[in-house]
Amino acid sequence: MTRFGEAATATRQRLRETDRRYSLRQVARRIGVEPSYLSKVERGQVAPPSEATTVRLAKELGQDPDVFLAMAGKVSRDLQDIICKRPALFAELIRQLKDAPDHAILHIVREVRDGDW
Amino acid sequence: MITLERDSLVFRFPEVHEAARCSLDFQRTLRIPDDGSDYPLPPGMGQFPLRHLDDYARQAPQQWLRRGGVLMPMHQAEAMWISFGCGDYPFAVKIAAGKTCAITGDAWANHLNTDPQDYLVLPEQPWLDGFCVAKGLVRQFVAMPLGEGYSVEEQLTGAAEHGGVQIIAYPMKAERYEAMLAKAMREDALVDHGPMYAPPGAVSAPLDMGLAPGGRMRQEIYEDEYGLDAWDQRHASRCFITIANSTQWLALTGERPPTEPPTARDYTDAGLPWFDYYGGDLNALEETEKMRGLVSVAQLGAQKGQSPLPDNESIDAANVVTLRAAGATQVREMPAGSA
Repeated sequence: MTRFGEAATATRQRLRETDRRYSLRQVARRIGVEPSYLSKVERGQVAPPSEATTVRLAKELGQDPDVFLAMAGKVSRDLQDIICKRPALFAELIRQLKDAPDHAILHIVREVRDGDW
Repeated sequence: MITLERDSLVFRFPEVHEAARCSLDFQRTLRIPDDGSDYPLPPGMGQFPLRHLDDYARQAPQQWLRRGGVLMPMHQAEAMWISFGCGDYPFAVKIAAGKTCAITGDAWANHLNTDPQDYLVLPEQPWLDGFCVAKGLVRQFVAMPLGEGYSVEEQLTGAAEHGGVQIIAYPMKAERYEAMLAKAMREDALVDHGPMYAPPGAVSAPLDMGLAPGGRMRQEIYEDEYGLDAWDQRHASRCFITIANSTQWLALTGERPPTEPPTARDYTDAGLPWFDYYGGDLNALEETEKMRGLVSVAQLGAQKGQSPLPDNESIDAANVVTLRAAGATQVREMPAGSA
């Protein structure tokens, strides 16, 4: 079983304990894949699905799409585009921040500016 | 602090409590008929895109830049609803349109009021679809250009000055939350779009869009069961959401705005679901006298001899799914693959 498959299975089964809508069959239908395919993904018998399907699955299970994409060994298309526009700058930024604690990273996250109204 | 993450506004108050976090986004939806009937809740059809206004400082009108905040595109006569998300940390949230409170119709104030209550309580209130015009009934948020008299701002103040949407969020006091958490733990022990090529241009005339009252639907605004003293009013974050029409959005961002949603008729004829929400034993707020006096877009259009709402024919929304407060993820969306 892959890390992605393990996380997807554990999250879905936890939701399934209190809500029948989270059966393998129903989740597969809502994200637009065959139940047999989702079963193989969960058991790590096939590679993690496409970016779009991974994002749909994360949202369906109430998880952060970026976290699910990372576990699937992927980086979202929008992030790739952002990095590719200024690759040296963003690569250095990420390296500089790799060991920074969460609260320090939050301090440099861009805030929505409140103005005069 | 407020951050913009995947078209959601995320409010965090780490100085109050590490769990003090909530988010909201603006959902695209179909416009319900404005025909005097009461309708169920329409589906969510994905989030409206949001952008930092500061990113378009060279082209945006100075008036918009002064307000700060974010930019959102809406077509004229398009509807939307606001979706709230948070864990178990409670928040008091005020929503205004044109600096006019969506619950009471009062002018904007940076503090909470209880008589009448001018805020929503999260997580109890999962969504807000419109202006509270009667107990258990709201009139849908519908985008209309300022200056034509349709917006709630113009109806209640006589001026077309602000437009847009304004939001302020207050976290619960940390000590109150901790006490609530400890009590719950004790009780547990006894018994959880594609980019389009377009050169960005300047938008010189600040023709603002505002929100006007559309068709009527069943939605309760819940009473604050915690009391005013529960909220930490020393810590609040607020945001001005400027609504750009589709031409302004394209000129500023170079992106095509989302396509217009299907009509209520097409959606219903396809057999797709509408929604009802059951909030348990929570009490619903009464409407204020100001809000009771609002005139809907269709009604006002008729008085002016205009037809501001296309495709406004009545429908029979028979396929209604009831969502309940207790349970896992609430899914209030148009089924995948039916767009």
